[in-house]
Amino acid sequence: MLIVYFLSAFAISGALLCLRNRVIQLLFILLFLAEQTVLTVYAFCHLNEKDSVYFTFDSIGIILSSILTLLGYATFYHSYLYLKRHSDTQRSQSIYYAALIMLSASMNGAYFSEHLGTFWTSMEATTLCVSVLIYHERTPVALEATWKYVFICSVGISIALVGILSISVAVISKEGLTDLHLSNIVAHAQGMNTEWIKIAFVLALTGFSAKMGLFPLYAVCVDAHTVAPSPISAFISTTLMNVGFLGIFRMYTIIAQTDALPWANRVLMIAGILSITLAAVQLLRIKHFKRAFAFSSMEHMGIVALALSAGGIGYYAAILHIVLHSFAKAGLFYQIGQVYSVYNSYLIKDCGNYMKLNPVGAIVVILTFICVTAIPPSGLFVSEFMVFKSLFAGDNYYIAIAALFLLTVIMFVIGKNFLHLLYYNGDGFTTPQSVKVNTSETVSQFVLFGLIIYLGVNPPEFLSDLIKGATAVLQ
Amino acid sequence: MVFSLILLFELTLIYLAFTERVKRFLTILMIQGLLLFGIAYLQLKHINILYLAFILSETIIVKGLLVPLFLNQMRKRNNLDRLAHSKVSTFVTVMAISAAIVFGFLLSSNIHDDHLQTKFLAASIAAIITGIYFVMIHRNIFTHLVGYLITENGVFLFSLAVGSEMPMLVNAAILLDIFVGVLVLGIFANRVGDRFKKMHVDDLAQLKD
Repeated sequence: MLIVYFLSAFAISGALLCLRNRVIQLLFILLFLAEQTVLTVYAFCHLNEKDSVYFTFDSIGIILSSILTLLGYATFYHSYLYLKRHSDTQRSQSIYYAALIMLSASMNGAYFSEHLGTFWTSMEATTLCVSVLIYHERTPVALEATWKYVFICSVGISIALVGILSISVAVISKEGLTDLHLSNIVAHAQGMNTEWIKIAFVLALTGFSAKMGLFPLYAVCVDAHTVAPSPISAFISTTLMNVGFLGIFRMYTIIAQTDALPWANRVLMIAGILSITLAAVQLLRIKHFKRAFAFSSMEHMGIVALALSAGGIGYYAAILHIVLHSFAKAGLFYQIGQVYSVYNSYLIKDCGNYMKLNPVGAIVVILTFICVTAIPPSGLFVSEFMVFKSLFAGDNYYIAIAALFLLTVIMFVIGKNFLHLLYYNGDGFTTPQSVKVNTSETVSQFVLFGLIIYLGVNPPEFLSDLIKGATAVLQ
Repeated sequence: MVFSLILLFELTLIYLAFTERVKRFLTILMIQGLLLFGIAYLQLKHINILYLAFILSETIIVKGLLVPLFLNQMRKRNNLDRLAHSKVSTFVTVMAISAAIVFGFLLSSNIHDDHLQTKFLAASIAAIITGIYFVMIHRNIFTHLVGYLITENGVFLFSLAVGSEMPMLVNAAILLDIFVGVLVLGIFANRVGDRFKKMHVDDLAQLKD
């Protein structure tokens, strides 16, 4: 199934590059979205079944692929609006859509990879595809962000490859042969040389942190999310960060089978709390909305790392948080694209009085604030509550209290900036002349925020089962 | 024989510290590609002929020929001759690279694992550290690319250290990595050169808070 999916995604991308008719373009995009949906449904119906030697439809892969499918529809719709507003040439649009399709396909490759080699290769492919999208606007800052992203990600992914090779040393030492299938490594992890596993974990965490937006290589993610077109920022600050999370999660499932688990938890805890601290400090001096949201993503990834490190119910909370954060952050970036069309700027000082200029959009902003900062009834409140419960249960009082304090600071800063956007009409603010926003552009945001509340407060049984299935190997 | 080639590879790392000429960087990369070809051939000649052909072509054609040629085109396009943008002196760089080599040898000699080829591990650690060090001390993005490629050569040696049973997939991955590193980064580096008229990292500092 996946081979057919990859081939057709490749063919559709090629066709989009060659055939630049608008109607044909739309038909191909719809075809890809249908194919993406079929893949997710097929994967769900074939849970835990292998698909060729290198891929398996496991629970975590299905969860992340479902997020990609849902956000895929919204991202293509907002991309259409974005490209229309920017009057991009047909050639530039074709490149944009083709890269977006290839990015989705390579992310699916990473989600369903059962072999660490194919996972790594898929991750490298995502770097290739996303570089085209970050550079879409062809501005000097776009060039800077793209260069930094591709360079640091490439170095980071090389470091992660050394980590994967280190895992293979541990496998060879015990098994006498090399098989980098995750199921094989997890099955034989007990009794492996823990020193090699520890080296592998640290290298993988460092390398994949460039994709996940976690300490230490977080900076390139922030730059990329700031500069990319808004729909792309929405897509990569969710689905692509989830690829980074998956890399770390896969390595964690291996180390969780060994005696090095408490050590790995401490490493993750340090990475998590440092990420939240850096995000809070940076947010205090931020002047740019998209940059602020990029640091907010970093904060949430820090929470996910803390959840994993806490163990117990934290495992469930980590994956639930990943799901809900994806919907919240995507909605936020779609909305900021609309804000840009009103003010023609992402700078906080240039934006104000939004409540009067676009009341429906303002309601979305308020909902965004509630969802992102985990205020009830946001589902993120539920996941964060579970994270802190597991931290306190594991006697990590200092970390939990420090994280709570930092989250309060972040909530204050985001709230202050949103209030400026909604109501500021004072000195230095000029009301924009023409407001060109269609209220129907907010529908996807309302749907996503509705999902956040519903999935957090009353998660459907299949979602709970999938999350439990994904974390079963850790229990 | 393999050990001699590894020693030569280590010497190329030290030579990197002495040079500022872009052409010499490219020559070193070419020599490293040839040395890796020799090492890979001697180490892997018993494996499946197709796999061997793939790995040997990766070293000789891609690392030894295509990559230096592509970088040479980039050098000409951007009028690069000397790269004297290092933040530290040549002496310190020589000492640092020598220390990386000694560290690699010391570390690998203390690892007792029958499945690990420690001679490759020593060179691999030295190359990875040297590559990252190069990126850190230089202010020119062309040198960053060179540092990245040296790191990649280190990763290649690491895959040999791990064992010859699994080279195909890992080498396909390394090939993809080099493709991204050289082609994509090269394209963007050229654009940086076109846009800012020089390839200095200080031009890439607009994105900050």
